[in-house]
Amino acid sequence: MIEPSTARADRFRHEALFYSGRSEFINGTVPFIREGLTAGEPVLVVESLEKIQTLRTALEEDADRVFFADMSAVGANPARIIPAWRDFVTRYGVPGKSLRGIGEPIWSNRTADELVECQRHESLLNVAFGHGRPWLLLCPYDTAALDSAVIDEARRSHEFVVDGGSSRESEHFRGIEACGAPFSVPLRPTPAGIDELTFERDGLRHVRELVRKHSIVVGLDQSKADNLALAANEVATNSIVHGGGRGTVRVWEDAGRVICEVRDRGVFDLPLADREAPGPDPSSPRGLWLANQLCDLLQIRTFHGETAVRLHMRLDPRVNLRVLPGGSNGVDLAH
Amino acid sequence: MVAGEIDISNTASVADSLRDGFEDGADPHLDLSRVSFCDVSGIRALVSLALELAPNRRLLVHGLPPQLETVLKVTGWADLPGLELCSCGGDD
Repeated sequence: MIEPSTARADRFRHEALFYSGRSEFINGTVPFIREGLTAGEPVLVVESLEKIQTLRTALEEDADRVFFADMSAVGANPARIIPAWRDFVTRYGVPGKSLRGIGEPIWSNRTADELVECQRHESLLNVAFGHGRPWLLLCPYDTAALDSAVIDEARRSHEFVVDGGSSRESEHFRGIEACGAPFSVPLRPTPAGIDELTFERDGLRHVRELVRKHSIVVGLDQSKADNLALAANEVATNSIVHGGGRGTVRVWEDAGRVICEVRDRGVFDLPLADREAPGPDPSSPRGLWLANQLCDLLQIRTFHGETAVRLHMRLDPRVNLRVLPGGSNGVDLAH
Repeated sequence: MVAGEIDISNTASVADSLRDGFEDGADPHLDLSRVSFCDVSGIRALVSLALELAPNRRLLVHGLPPQLETVLKVTGWADLPGLELCSCGGDD
């Protein structure tokens, strides 16, 4: 049972809930939801469909007053979660009243790359909401299923933790400012022998051609290949405008995904630039936002005065067809 | 009529030539059916052209290819006042 001290927020309160097993999950979340409902607060739960069912059963008729969303859809690309919370807070927030959310973006079979981006997302929540209106966000972490390093990182990305049923400040919280610092967690090494294309302002069409061609060759369908080329075009445009006027692009396949990497000499120091929904003003940036809506994952890193952006597009596992370039043993795309 | 690929290398010149072709008073029509690619910078230029028009005028866009529709929708520009997307095949 969470202590009543968590019930009031005079500012954004980002709290990790460490639980093990179904009953600890229910004991950690259901009273939190009920307190919000009693106070007349809007409550949004973004969880797996299985946990949503668990909560619906536990909440009985109170479930009808809770908003639910499927985290496997909302958080398929973790960079789309902050915009969903932003939308909830903007749409349902009223002056003088808090809101409540429960969001579990990390589960045990997230890929290693997704996990890192989820951890970045957890840190960026503090940057996105830490100086804004008061509301409570509780993030369940399954201690039985997750690595202890994941739990340690949750202590750094959350200002409060509920552990063993009691809530307290996390002494390991890295602070809002550090949460938004340029991200430099290493990327996986690039396979050897990958073609690299250097581009400038006049060469974006070559970037698009390269991305489209390589994507089709490894089995991405036409529409996803077009979307990846468009996303790559936007990231490369940022290199031209903000990253020293030029950059390099590479494309390869890794573990069922097509990965496109754009590197330039820029420094990416706007931590929320890829996850702030663009307003109507034509000058507001849209390129990275677009990339996050079209791609399955983005990895943005700044290392030693260089920025790398990797765009991931998942290959449909049902498609085993490989299109071999140029040879009679290849599959004709027109068929 | 505008044709080919639009990206940051040619958005300024495309916008300038379109603007020169707009007649005073009437709502300008723009056929995009032969645009094979248009990125955010290109759409931004079109949106800016629409915003430059007098408040009672609209830029009527015809023959919007699916790729441009994707960009417009995802970037939140599809509902912009002053930009009307006609659901016709173009060439009219």
